[in-house]
Amino acid sequence: MNAVRVRPDLAVSGEHKELRSMVRQLMADTSSSARLREVMETEDGFDRATWSTLAELGLLALLVPECYEGLGQGPVESSIIFEEMGRALYPGPYFASVALATNALLCSGDGAACSDLLPGIAAGSTIATVAIAEAVTPWGSPNTVCTVARPDRDVWILEGAKSFVPHGHVADLLLVTARTDAGLSLFAVESADAGVEARALTSLDLTRRLAAVTFAGARARLVGADGEAGPVVASTVDRALIALASEQAGGAARCLEMSVDYAKQREQFGKSIGSFQAIAHRCVEMLQRVEFARAASHYASACQATGAGELSVAARVAAAYCGRAYRWTAAENIQVHGGLGFTWEHDAHLHYRRSWASETLLGNADEHYLAVADRVGLGQEKGAA
Amino acid sequence: MIAPTILRHADERQKQEYLPALFRGELIACQLFSEPDAGSDLASIKTRAVRDGDRWQITGQKVWTSGAHLADVGEIICQTEPGPRHRNLTAFMVDMHAPGVTVRPLRQMTGGASFNEVFLDDVEVADTARIGAEGVGWRVALTTLSYERNAMGHSSFGGAGILSTDRLMQLIRHAGLANDPLVKRRFGELVTELRVVRYAQEVMAERMRAGQSPGPEIAINKLALSANMARLGDFVVSVLGPRAIADTGEWGTYAWTSVVLGAPGYRLGGGSDEVLKNRLAERVLGLPKPT
Repeated sequence: MNAVRVRPDLAVSGEHKELRSMVRQLMADTSSSARLREVMETEDGFDRATWSTLAELGLLALLVPECYEGLGQGPVESSIIFEEMGRALYPGPYFASVALATNALLCSGDGAACSDLLPGIAAGSTIATVAIAEAVTPWGSPNTVCTVARPDRDVWILEGAKSFVPHGHVADLLLVTARTDAGLSLFAVESADAGVEARALTSLDLTRRLAAVTFAGARARLVGADGEAGPVVASTVDRALIALASEQAGGAARCLEMSVDYAKQREQFGKSIGSFQAIAHRCVEMLQRVEFARAASHYASACQATGAGELSVAARVAAAYCGRAYRWTAAENIQVHGGLGFTWEHDAHLHYRRSWASETLLGNADEHYLAVADRVGLGQEKGAA
Repeated sequence: MIAPTILRHADERQKQEYLPALFRGELIACQLFSEPDAGSDLASIKTRAVRDGDRWQITGQKVWTSGAHLADVGEIICQTEPGPRHRNLTAFMVDMHAPGVTVRPLRQMTGGASFNEVFLDDVEVADTARIGAEGVGWRVALTTLSYERNAMGHSSFGGAGILSTDRLMQLIRHAGLANDPLVKRRFGELVTELRVVRYAQEVMAERMRAGQSPGPEIAINKLALSANMARLGDFVVSVLGPRAIADTGEWGTYAWTSVVLGAPGYRLGGGSDEVLKNRLAERVLGLPKPT
């Protein structure tokens, strides 16, 4: 399969544990259920004071290499943050700025663009996102992109429309795919440009809004080589899927906790409902999915960190498994809570909504399964080992 | 399963006696736990060991004993005292060739016979073959079961066996279905489920290297094995079609039916899935004892 077989390093260090408890505490302090419900009703949909705190703690700089004024940490560290944010349904543009935009810039290999753009993202002063999908074009099919770009002296001019852009309504910087004469290319566009208009869409996930963004003669900067964005998009999506898988694992773990807590405390027929096998076994099935989802996302992020040969398969395995696991646990969590779980006031539906949106955003399980089959070598004449 | 149990519970002399021979493969061990009236409710076993000075006399019947017909020694759990449930059991290593031991093979639904009934009629065992103190046999048994579930889980993601990605791809290509989108999607799903178990076991192995001993959550791997064996059967039959229900003589086709026939056994062996779920609910999730 691969000439060099590098194994992922799965060790959990003391620093990892400290990082996890720090982020968990931060989420408890800033993104409690009550606070979450306040901010999800606001126009931005998130709280800028918390965003500043994330920046001060260096969480936005984590993945950014030191040469671009970041902390130079790796995917394993960032997966811990995503898992904790997934538990808390953190509503800010962290996934957009870190998992999507930071990774897109790093994957582009464009040193000048990284030097100019990453320090602002790392400092939290620039909220960034990636706009790849269009109204009829999912994330996974970059070749059908209709947005176009043409050179105009020292800049590029964008025309077209993107959709399903995570946090596109609050982003300062958009990394946009568009077709040029040379093929699919990546561009950086400031949302303040007169040719850019972003509008939040009514979104199933109340804690992560998607936006439609139109470009009418918007001034853009080419990121990476003209016509070479295909592989950049592919690796950005793989990396973002691993981050998303960690979020999903965290969300699933939270759903399990809610169910188990409720099953211990709720009594019917004179006993706690957790003593009934119908409930207990359901909780164990949730546990199994949670444990495997956490392991799969951890494993995939560790593969990314060491460049292990299994990375391309592990990314899609984690995406497919964690997406399903979260959606399943979110639905079962409602069932365990009975009628209470079906009310607006209970947080169960916020996870249920997030789980559907996350599983669909960057490609669904069917697409991941097909990718796994390809990546282990089914289509090839002779199988990969 | 048995070597790690000896490593954890036996004394130094017993470790010397059994471990080198077990690891060299000179000694084959089996596990004498289940009885006709004590399956899922293992703690209610009735085989008795009665002490007579520095000897014990064991009488009773064991069942579902894998490999008993090949084994030289067996780890047996017996009732030794009238004490309360879970504290009335003691573990021994019994010589499978000793007088009074009768092994009778049981034919499984697959047609094979890998497990047995074992009858013990006044079998004499020295007190030096006792593993752990009197009355702590339940703890010894749980150790073995935990390693059994772990070992079963280890077979749940492939390697070179029937669950290997390569073997499955050979099957698909042989059937000419490598470009069938439905088969491809189902294969991708099966590979996903198998890889996830492998990743999870590597993560658990890393935890063990870091000094955490396997807890009751290890039983999750056994649940994954039974689910994956069922998925595998489902998948291979969908690829083979009628070649899975009658032997046409074509190589590499009908032989896969052993997977279909074997799958129900995985849900039962090593503790039925249901009993394991009860245990996971209680021990890992802290839910009240299931009723």
